[in-house]
Amino acid sequence: MSAVTSVIDRLRARIGVDGEPVTAPVEAGHVKRFAAAIGDPNPRWEKEAPPTFLVALAPVALHLSEAEEYGKGWLNGGNRFEYLAPVKIGDRIAATGRIADVYEKSGSSGNMLFIIFETEYVNQSGAVVGRVRGTMIRR
Amino acid sequence: MSAFAVGQELPELVKHPTTRQLVQYAGAQGDFYEIHYDQDYARSVGLPGVILHGLLKAGFLGQLVTDWLGDRGTLKSLEVSYRGIDTPGQPYTCRGKVTRVDGEEVELEIWGEDESGKRTTVGRATVNMRD
Repeated sequence: MSAVTSVIDRLRARIGVDGEPVTAPVEAGHVKRFAAAIGDPNPRWEKEAPPTFLVALAPVALHLSEAEEYGKGWLNGGNRFEYLAPVKIGDRIAATGRIADVYEKSGSSGNMLFIIFETEYVNQSGAVVGRVRGTMIRR
Repeated sequence: MSAFAVGQELPELVKHPTTRQLVQYAGAQGDFYEIHYDQDYARSVGLPGVILHGLLKAGFLGQLVTDWLGDRGTLKSLEVSYRGIDTPGQPYTCRGKVTRVDGEEVELEIWGEDESGKRTTVGRATVNMRD
């Protein structure tokens, strides 16, 4: 149990602490591949990013690999996207991730570890364009 | 005069995800978790086989809302909760309806159904309508 306790403690110690910002350009080709992968042919995505694109922009903004010491697999519990300004092709966006909460729950299939994260996205003009909150579960 | 009324349904969006699409999405999002393309790995963690990314289903629901909204307004939030798994080779149907109209702000209930009609993803969206 000590290994489990220590991974939870280490993750809890990161609650509210900003990770290193990761900056990425919003590239036309990337947005095009992303929209194509969803199967969304809207021509609007030739100029701006579709609603869930923020998660593809900087997938490494939050390092949760240490949580893999707990359980055997990941589950995605949910996501919340908040939009404050458009994300346009050619923007440069800095993503800053942080852990908002960490807790353990016991369920019918055993214990699960819940990690709530939030990532904030700021464009080259300093405007917050959006926020993504998510629940990642280890079990 | 608002063109939106509580109870109004969004045109449904039916998706036919394939394993190929999961690989395409994995690359585009940068999520290479093996449960989305490696059948043996997926089974080794207790899944029936490869499953759809939750965020791919969120992407489908985003499309549901932006297709319906067009240029009539701006999406302010999109929230999804993944309640069940979905596998490629089965249709995935996105639906939604207007649940609240408050001035320019319109709230939607959105969800994704598997082939049996079970809501495997549930969520909400808010949009701000233009004048």
